[in-house]
Amino acid sequence: MKHNQNIERDRELLLGLTRNDDRALATIYTENYPSILRMVLQYNGSEDDAKDLFQEAMIILYEKAQKGEFDLYSKLKTFLYAVCRHLWLKKLQTGNWQLALPDELEEVLPAEDDNTMAEHEEKDQQFRVMEKTMGNMGEPCKTILEDYYIRKLSMQDIAEKFGYTNSENAKNQKYKCLMRLKKLFFEQYKS
Amino acid sequence: MNDFTLIRDIERYLEGEMSEQERTAFEALRQSNPAVNEQVLLHQQLMQQLEQYGQRVAFQEKMDKIHASMAIDEVLPPSQIPAQKKVFTISRRLITNMAAAACIALVTSLSTIALMQNATRQNTTAQYEDVRRVLNNIQRSQNALINDINSKKKAPANPGTYGGTGFAISNNGYVVTNYHVIAGADSIYIQNTKGEAFKAASVFEDISSDLAILKITDSTFKGQPLPYTLKPQYASRGEAVFTLGYPRDEIVYGEGYISAQTGFNGDSAAYQVSIPVNPGNSGAPLMDSKGDVVGIVTGKQTTSDGIAFAVKSAHLKRLLEEMPKDKLPKKEWNHKNRLGGLTRVDQVKKLEEFVYMVKVYN
Repeated sequence: MKHNQNIERDRELLLGLTRNDDRALATIYTENYPSILRMVLQYNGSEDDAKDLFQEAMIILYEKAQKGEFDLYSKLKTFLYAVCRHLWLKKLQTGNWQLALPDELEEVLPAEDDNTMAEHEEKDQQFRVMEKTMGNMGEPCKTILEDYYIRKLSMQDIAEKFGYTNSENAKNQKYKCLMRLKKLFFEQYKS
Repeated sequence: MNDFTLIRDIERYLEGEMSEQERTAFEALRQSNPAVNEQVLLHQQLMQQLEQYGQRVAFQEKMDKIHASMAIDEVLPPSQIPAQKKVFTISRRLITNMAAAACIALVTSLSTIALMQNATRQNTTAQYEDVRRVLNNIQRSQNALINDINSKKKAPANPGTYGGTGFAISNNGYVVTNYHVIAGADSIYIQNTKGEAFKAASVFEDISSDLAILKITDSTFKGQPLPYTLKPQYASRGEAVFTLGYPRDEIVYGEGYISAQTGFNGDSAAYQVSIPVNPGNSGAPLMDSKGDVVGIVTGKQTTSDGIAFAVKSAHLKRLLEEMPKDKLPKKEWNHKNRLGGLTRVDQVKKLEEFVYMVKVYN
């Protein structure tokens, strides 16, 4: 029964994660990071490797949870560990320092996880494109777009922040920025 | 409608800022103009991407904050860090050990190779034996008897230091034998089955194939047309062969078969032959069943019985073609083999007149 209770607790945490509850995130993070760190160190990885790996796994978890289609069948720990193992395996295979793979890592992950990975890779790709495009936007466009679309500030606030005489001017500036972003993003994305 | 107004309209449409009237007009435009519709879809996609990007950036920031607030020392059990160091030192020590072991292995294997090569070289000389004969006193007395009978054509009273076998390759006094038989000779005599001896001189020597061509210089020698030919093709494995040689003072017949297409240590210019061979057989002809020459007996393997080696006749033929023209025996290999239909006894009877004992004095 203890096992089931744990899953219940994990489900609660996951719901918290979906609601962008910072406490839930902090709990999941602090509880699971150490075991991943140990795994990475055991295979001669660095602390930075562990951090990158774990955060990538967390992003996968988060984005899956956000989509609302994630049903937790195993403990969060197991899920994160499996994902990390998979990512680490990939890193070892593609890295130029080809180590002999530890036996445990050679176990094949379930097909469901492969699906997860493929999805994640696609999303990751989109993220990199957007990251690059935003990096190329320059100011004030970058901040205006981030403020409006990500931080959800109102046009009035943005107009005040950037010193526009009224929100209509700020809006026009935003449209121009949006035009550039659209052009740049789809140029990259389609290539 | 330019790009700017289009994007403004799309934004306003998606954000729900349009009035009912504008909205209906825009939706009508969307339906009538596929390009506009596509722009709307792309815009939606862009918004979605932007939102996801924002979410991820925010999430990453949160995680980094949590990560920074975590004390790594607490996260790692104290045993973890030293243990890791320990692993590292072990592996470094391991590398040193492995390097030392590899060096030792290298030295060992190299010295083994050197020793083995040395040993093989010694073995090679030990295993291979020329079958020339050291003539002894008994034979000397026999010789003396023969010499009495054929007092007209006699060899020097000293019967010679070494003996071998040779056979005629032309009707005008050219004889082939092994180089090792006549090596270092002061004078060479050849003696036929009737005990007649003739002085001969070496005219051509090929050390690599261990062959020498002698020319009988004695004026008393009278040649006869040869009844056999040099076979240009290689004999095949299993082909029956026989030989005539002088391991004693009398001509001796022996028969066997070709065992392999290569000679000692894989020498492709020779055959391995299974035939009884004794000191004195060096230079003896190796004949096939028709009486044609397929090889010249050169030596045997000392480590095992019945393994002899013979230079291929094709090689002798090539040698004859390479010889300087002025020394060349007349080319008369066009003649027919005249031993083909005969029984072995008759073949041998005819052949033995052309097989000579080669005596060497030095």
